Amino acid sequence: MATQLTPKDFATATPSWWCPGCGDFGVLAALKQACAELALQPKDVAFVSGIGCSGKISGYLHSYAFHGVHGRALPTATAVKLANKDLTVIVAGGDGDGYAIGAGHFLHAVRRNPNMTYIVMDNQTYGLTKGQSSPTSMLGYLSGTSPAGNPDAPLNGLAVALAAGGTFLARAFSSEPKAMVEMIKEAVNHPGFAIVEVMSPCVTFNKINTYKWFKENVYHLSDVEGYDASNRAKAFETLMQPGKIPLGVFYREVRPTLDELMLKDTPAVSGLDIESVDPKLAKLQEAYL
Amino acid sequence: MILNDIEVLFGGQAGDGSLTTGDLIATVFKRMGLDVYTFKDFPSRIRGGHTNYIIRASEHPHYGLADYVDAMVAFDLECVEKHVDEMRPGGFVIFDNTSEQLTDAVRRTDVTYYEVPLAKIAKEVLGLELVRNTISLGVLAQLTGMDPAIVRSLVTRQYERKGEKVVAQNIGAVEAGENYVKEHFVDKPSGYRLRAKPDVDRLIMMGNDAIGYGALAAGCRFMAGYPITPATDVLEWMAKHAPKYGGVVMQAEDELAAINMVIGAAWAGTRAMTATSGPGQALMTEGIGLAGVTETPIVIVECARAGPSTGMPTKTEQSNLNHLIFSGHGEIPRVVLAPGSVEESFYITVTAFNLAEKYQLPVFILSEQAMCQSKETTPRLDVGAVKVDRGKLHHNGALTFGEYKRFEFSDDGVSPRAIPGTEGGMHLVPGSEHNDAGVITEDARNRVRIMDKRMQKLVSMRPDLPKAVVHGDPTATVAFIGYGSNRGPINEAQQRLAAAGVPSRFLQLRTLWPFPEETVREFIKDAKHVFVVENNMTGQIDRLIRYVTGPLPRLHRVLKYSGRPFRPIEIIEAVENTLNARTSKDGHTIVVGRNGARSSSAPAEHAVAHLLEAPADDVVAAD
Repeated sequence: MATQLTPKDFATATPSWWCPGCGDFGVLAALKQACAELALQPKDVAFVSGIGCSGKISGYLHSYAFHGVHGRALPTATAVKLANKDLTVIVAGGDGDGYAIGAGHFLHAVRRNPNMTYIVMDNQTYGLTKGQSSPTSMLGYLSGTSPAGNPDAPLNGLAVALAAGGTFLARAFSSEPKAMVEMIKEAVNHPGFAIVEVMSPCVTFNKINTYKWFKENVYHLSDVEGYDASNRAKAFETLMQPGKIPLGVFYREVRPTLDELMLKDTPAVSGLDIESVDPKLAKLQEAYL
Repeated sequence: MILNDIEVLFGGQAGDGSLTTGDLIATVFKRMGLDVYTFKDFPSRIRGGHTNYIIRASEHPHYGLADYVDAMVAFDLECVEKHVDEMRPGGFVIFDNTSEQLTDAVRRTDVTYYEVPLAKIAKEVLGLELVRNTISLGVLAQLTGMDPAIVRSLVTRQYERKGEKVVAQNIGAVEAGENYVKEHFVDKPSGYRLRAKPDVDRLIMMGNDAIGYGALAAGCRFMAGYPITPATDVLEWMAKHAPKYGGVVMQAEDELAAINMVIGAAWAGTRAMTATSGPGQALMTEGIGLAGVTETPIVIVECARAGPSTGMPTKTEQSNLNHLIFSGHGEIPRVVLAPGSVEESFYITVTAFNLAEKYQLPVFILSEQAMCQSKETTPRLDVGAVKVDRGKLHHNGALTFGEYKRFEFSDDGVSPRAIPGTEGGMHLVPGSEHNDAGVITEDARNRVRIMDKRMQKLVSMRPDLPKAVVHGDPTATVAFIGYGSNRGPINEAQQRLAAAGVPSRFLQLRTLWPFPEETVREFIKDAKHVFVVENNMTGQIDRLIRYVTGPLPRLHRVLKYSGRPFRPIEIIEAVENTLNARTSKDGHTIVVGRNGARSSSAPAEHAVAHLLEAPADDVVAAD
């Protein structure tokens, strides 16, 4: 009988590699809390991560965890879900992992709508390689690779996802644990591809987008009177608005998921008995006589 | 009169339906009890451009082309212009003279020409220009003595789905073709005759279909791929059949995604594969390394085509072997297997899945355009004999926290896998270096130990690897080494050399990596001349052999990199010229196919031999 677990049951013994004060600690704590509150069992959680500071997170969540190559966590996770639809599949990665090297996979994961959760830990820089500009760095961001200021406009990942057919789009701030836990829980429960972008400050390299800066530059959709998360046009308008950064659930929609469409009546693929060969198979040869 | 031995070249412009009729001809030959090999020489475009389809039928299996084309069915002058030099003296051409006429330049005195207004008959008599291919089948059938009942039953089967009217039109077309010959060419026999033999329980199957079928039989239930010639057939075959057995087939956004999907599915406990060709393989290189270090069992089908870069997408080559064996940063254990026929493609695929799971690593199946897109007659495939070996698995057990170690050290280098969802088997699988528990570490002692563990699998797997096959006279002093689609042409060259008093033996490699060093060393030991036959320019297998044998006299390379497969005569001439040269102990490099697509002219010494860094050992080696 499965017992109700606590966040501690989702902890590993591996010490963290993150810098003290890193926003990613907040994400990990919220994730463990959400898993416990959702009454998940570690054996039923498949946690896939990419490369970067954010990617390290898979080592810290007691579960079945796969720490793949840079930018490819989404294809890996999509197949895990198709292989075993009973698993709760959660993916985590950074802004570089998801919006730069993995941007192609991001778009296609969105349009496929597999039933899984994707947490983008956005620190607006490449932390693990020491602070270069990332796809979400602000214009003019100074770094080793952009000594004259970052010339590239930042990518609005959630707006892109909305255009590509995203069905659950949310943004959180890593120093707001309660809201983050609720958002992750809602994302896991969402039947489809749920994206939670977390603003997760890099205390070592990003001296612009600090905790203080965020506190001064965010607002909550929950404070916006009459905000309707089923209105796609409104969500797009909100996401594209310059100025302060909105937090909350921008958009929700239910449409058939990839696993529903592909598996239909099939049980979990990995659970199929393949050791005894189906006698139907021999008959296939008749088409070649 | 030539009996039961014919190579038909069916050619015209791409998109004019020659594939369907070519397949029909192949199946007619098969039903007549003959052995069949087909070869697609298509351009990399959908409409227009010269295309041809070769169908060879013979009394015995050859798994490859003959020396010459016996019969050409040409729908335009370009086809005759391109291929008339490849005709066997005594061969014949069926030419559609509706809108073009044969020129003097393409008329050979030793070839018979049957000029038939195929398109005109199709339009005027049958009211449907589309059926001119089927009329040509009737002409060919009448000239060669195809069994009329078999022809009719197969035409019916082919067009059944399109309704009775279409069947009747095509049967009418066959008759129109037959009648034209009876009316116009009664005094002009072709010199070829086919006589039906019993067709006992055989298949005619394309290499790529056999790979898909082998995968399904081996329990593969997940495939991800990206369309690429000539590997797409595998993806399409699996998309059609796998869902009926609970499988899932994904078309990925690119090969990077495809390989990572396969890794994800395999980690989650499903037998998984992908199929690609050179350019896709290049993109998958990153994922192969990940599969190696994470010890994830995956199967990668490489249907090789001519490179580099986009190269010649529809042409054959054996130039990707180095890539499969050596690509990727860092060092991982991997396996490369090479079937030598359609039949072997099925069984090797089954083996690939068992090796992948038993030793938890990436396994490549290396095929080539000249085999994966070719059809062959083959005995029924023994699905009942397929044994699935999933290797070491960690089953539900009352383990306490941290007790299960995904990469536990062991004598054979293999650790039990825990499939996600298994109680007590939680673990991290990182692409970063890690310890036995999967925890990321850069510890020096651990690094050496875990590298040794992974590489140990290359040693422990040796008894399970497909063995090389020795064809011919095992005591002969003339020896061949080759693999893949060259099995057929080498075999045939051997048979004819033996008939001319030159017995030989041929080592057909089926495991290319880990390289079968002992087998090769033993095979070469007593040989006086060794001919390494490869479809590439730089002698990739030859280099591996030299690497393990060291200095060796009279180790010759027979190379062809025109994008076309060997014809037996090219190998025979290479051998005869070398044996007759009686010069030194040097190894020769002989390049064939310089004079065109399927030239039968004498091979030339390598024109740019200096580029190949021919080892000095060749010259100074001592007996």
